[in-house]
Amino acid sequence: MRGWDEGEGDRDESRRRLREALSQSKSDLSRSWKIYRRSLLAMLGLFMVISVSLVAIFAETIAVEHPYRNLQDTEDKWLIDYEPRRVEPRSEECDWHEQKITTNPNSPLFSEVVVAETDDKVGETIADGYYRDTLTVIQLIKLENSLGYDLNLSLLSMDPSNSSLLVLSPELYGNTSLYDGVWLTYEFDNEEMHHWWLPDGYDVCIFGTNDQGHDLFSKVVYGAQVSLKIGITVATLTVIIGTIVGSISGYFGGRVDEFIMRICDIFFAIPGLILAMAFVAAMNQITSLTIPIWLGILFPIFVLAAFSNTYLNSTVPDDDQISEQVMSLIIRYRGVLLVLVGFLFFVGLIPGASWPDFFGISEGRSWRVFAALGIIAVLGAIILADRRFFLNTSFEGGLGRIRDSFDWTNPWRYLTFRTLAVFVSLALLFSFSGNEGEELVLIKNFDRLWKVQAALIFTGWPGYARLIRGQVLYVKEMTFVEAARSVGARPGRIMFRHILPNAWAPLLVAFTLDIGGTILSASGLSFLGLGADAYTAEWGLMISESRRYFLLSPHLMLFPGLAIAVTVLGFNLLGDGIRDIVDPKNRR
Amino acid sequence: MKLHEFVVRRLLLLIPVMIGVAIFTFAIAHIIPGDPAAIQCGDKCGVTVDYTEDGDPITAYEANRIRLKMDDTVTVQFWRYITDLAEGDWGESLLYHRPVIDVVKDAAPITLEMSFLALFIAYPLGIILGIISAVRQDRMFDHVSRFFAIAFVSLPIFWFAMMLQLFLATGTEHGGICDPIFGTEGGCFPIYGRHDPSYTYPVDGYAWYYPTGGTGFHLVDSWFVTDEKLATLPSEWGSNRLLFKDTFFHLALPCAALGIASTGSLLRYMRASLLEVLHEDYVRTARAKGLSEIRVVIVHACRNALIPIVTILGFSIGGAIGGAVLTETVFAFNGMGRVAVTSIQYLDFAVIMGVTLITSVIFLLSNLIVDITYAIIDPRVRLE
Repeated sequence: MRGWDEGEGDRDESRRRLREALSQSKSDLSRSWKIYRRSLLAMLGLFMVISVSLVAIFAETIAVEHPYRNLQDTEDKWLIDYEPRRVEPRSEECDWHEQKITTNPNSPLFSEVVVAETDDKVGETIADGYYRDTLTVIQLIKLENSLGYDLNLSLLSMDPSNSSLLVLSPELYGNTSLYDGVWLTYEFDNEEMHHWWLPDGYDVCIFGTNDQGHDLFSKVVYGAQVSLKIGITVATLTVIIGTIVGSISGYFGGRVDEFIMRICDIFFAIPGLILAMAFVAAMNQITSLTIPIWLGILFPIFVLAAFSNTYLNSTVPDDDQISEQVMSLIIRYRGVLLVLVGFLFFVGLIPGASWPDFFGISEGRSWRVFAALGIIAVLGAIILADRRFFLNTSFEGGLGRIRDSFDWTNPWRYLTFRTLAVFVSLALLFSFSGNEGEELVLIKNFDRLWKVQAALIFTGWPGYARLIRGQVLYVKEMTFVEAARSVGARPGRIMFRHILPNAWAPLLVAFTLDIGGTILSASGLSFLGLGADAYTAEWGLMISESRRYFLLSPHLMLFPGLAIAVTVLGFNLLGDGIRDIVDPKNRR
Repeated sequence: MKLHEFVVRRLLLLIPVMIGVAIFTFAIAHIIPGDPAAIQCGDKCGVTVDYTEDGDPITAYEANRIRLKMDDTVTVQFWRYITDLAEGDWGESLLYHRPVIDVVKDAAPITLEMSFLALFIAYPLGIILGIISAVRQDRMFDHVSRFFAIAFVSLPIFWFAMMLQLFLATGTEHGGICDPIFGTEGGCFPIYGRHDPSYTYPVDGYAWYYPTGGTGFHLVDSWFVTDEKLATLPSEWGSNRLLFKDTFFHLALPCAALGIASTGSLLRYMRASLLEVLHEDYVRTARAKGLSEIRVVIVHACRNALIPIVTILGFSIGGAIGGAVLTETVFAFNGMGRVAVTSIQYLDFAVIMGVTLITSVIFLLSNLIVDITYAIIDPRVRLE
């Protein structure tokens, strides 16, 4: 065995090969882009996907109102005593407000001068209590008595000096037939609800409002968040599960293969939507997803044992073309990557995925932070120090060796499955330990959307398993796999380092297409009433709710449906474009 | 391998899958929270309905548990479920108060009729468009049809169905684009249901009677309705031709909504398949012989390009039955999809199991038929 310091030449050699791989991968990328650019449809799909993603990310900026808030400012959680207006797209009625005016002079609420103000709003904290915002009146629209009959508007007048004040004429409160009050409708200055990116005059509720007075535009915009979150989460997890199962099935073959494929057959035999419906119903009463604590600890240990064994014993050098390309890319853009990953992690700007939701915060968090950081630091140091540190027992120049091991020019070295398993299991243990009895809380608040995702993952993985199995069966027969096996590489290594990197192309296409398919199925489930909770900003649910007003307000179903169609079409076109790239026929 | 060996082998392979599906449906129905015994007696679960031999009272809930034999172990219950299935006893629906097998028998033809008609329209359309698209590769028609193929696959079925309703089944005052061509109100097509309400009349005060009976496929039944039967019906119901026309017009929109996705995917498959075949040697030979291009494409290329399309048929039937859940909800057909949705919403366990089982049986059988057809068309398959 050679000493630690004799690797200078090797390192030069590896740097040279890195540079080569870098230029190679650069030309690969540009060639792929050239193929992709050829197709107008693919470019259209890319544009659609990017714009929908942007809408999802900046939903809060683009939307006028929170999707559950009422545009006409009529939300009144306890006393809904009139119906919110359902208005046509681009109607001016969004700026209208209905206010009850007391006309009984004996009432303590009576005043001759009425302030135009919103209904009771609930403050952010308990201390804020209820409050009312003062509104600026632009125009009086309608005056009705409590039976709904119109009264003469001249009974009321606006204060010329202050446009928030309304003056009642004596006829109004002298009239005993009105009992306790009249309803006034007026147009108010709705400055904060204007779309900042549209010119004046085109500004309010361009998609209209639904039967609850919710701004449809805001709901459609927020719906992009929900749908993309479902699509990406489900597609990613199904790919992971399907890949693991499929590669096991394809690699080992025989009885294992037969067994797994029969299970897949069962899944294929039942229509996916019916199965997903039954599964959602089966999870009806689950409120938080937990796993027993022993499973949470044993599973990472098992994974560790499985993979560390492989890696400690393997001595085959890595000369995979693909892994080198990825490595060189990582090296080249490591700064950008670090900033991006850090940004995503801390700000949580991944569409719709908010870390607080996912990781649920409990009281004992601070000590867990320190404990986990300490363990991560110790284990990380051990891993980074490299196993050769232990093999070569000399302590001479140990400090330099440790410093060398932090050498960032070859990060791929650290990215073994052993490392990943340690870090992931630590992160999982740390963040999911909700201290609830003997169980680790995986997902707090396991709501209907989570159930839909779980059901779609549950029904979706067999497709990927079958796809990957076919690919693995194909790649398995190639000579480089034979070579790896002949030098004594373990099955895990062959699978993950030799077979899978060469079988990813159809997987990528299927993944992209599946995001669209998942969005379709999720909206279908919501449409059937088995998806999101009532009045969530989910496109399928919005269409389902609009069925009540099918003839009166078709716009309620038009816009969410268009949103689904555009999003799914974007992902399908993108997947088609990627298929053109990875198609060997197009490689020239 | 001989053909009959192949068929026998495929049939034997069905058995483990069917057992698996039975286990699966049983497991799902038992995982779903909710106690069937408690659901059946509702708020009267505490009422004493009987006494044991020792004189202890038995509440309605306990009586239900005894009647449904819920105190047995799961394995015993499963064994009983399997044996009952084999004997044709699929359980009793809590929601419809009928045997599950009757519910399924009524619902299955509705879904099958709709799915088959949808595929019957989608297949020729998709294949013809695919052929034109492949022949005129990279021209305008190709680009446009490919775009629409992907767009059709991307449309949410339920939304497309509702848009069809809005534009083709409502009057012009509601945004419809055409006048009624059958009936007097609304647009060109009826908006929902399987037939015009005037073609049904109440029997015994609650059940609605439609004069067909027989197979349950109304298109078939209404065409072959006998004169004697017609004579017993109200005079304004006219002839079998009228009944058939009525049924057909009611099926048109659901089938369009259901078939549109299949058309899109078929177009793409056919185009890809034909493009592959057009580069084969025998096509070049055919061209070299001086045959006309149409003859080359139709006779030489298409016949081979169509072989892989047959395999997709099995999956399209499954997809159509899955999509029927949505179209039936929109068009108010009481088919299997709607039965599945209501049974899941109202936790009608026996019906959930029955519907899941029957859909998977239909899917597996159609796949079996497709596979056998494939083996007949392309003998290479049998060699595996």
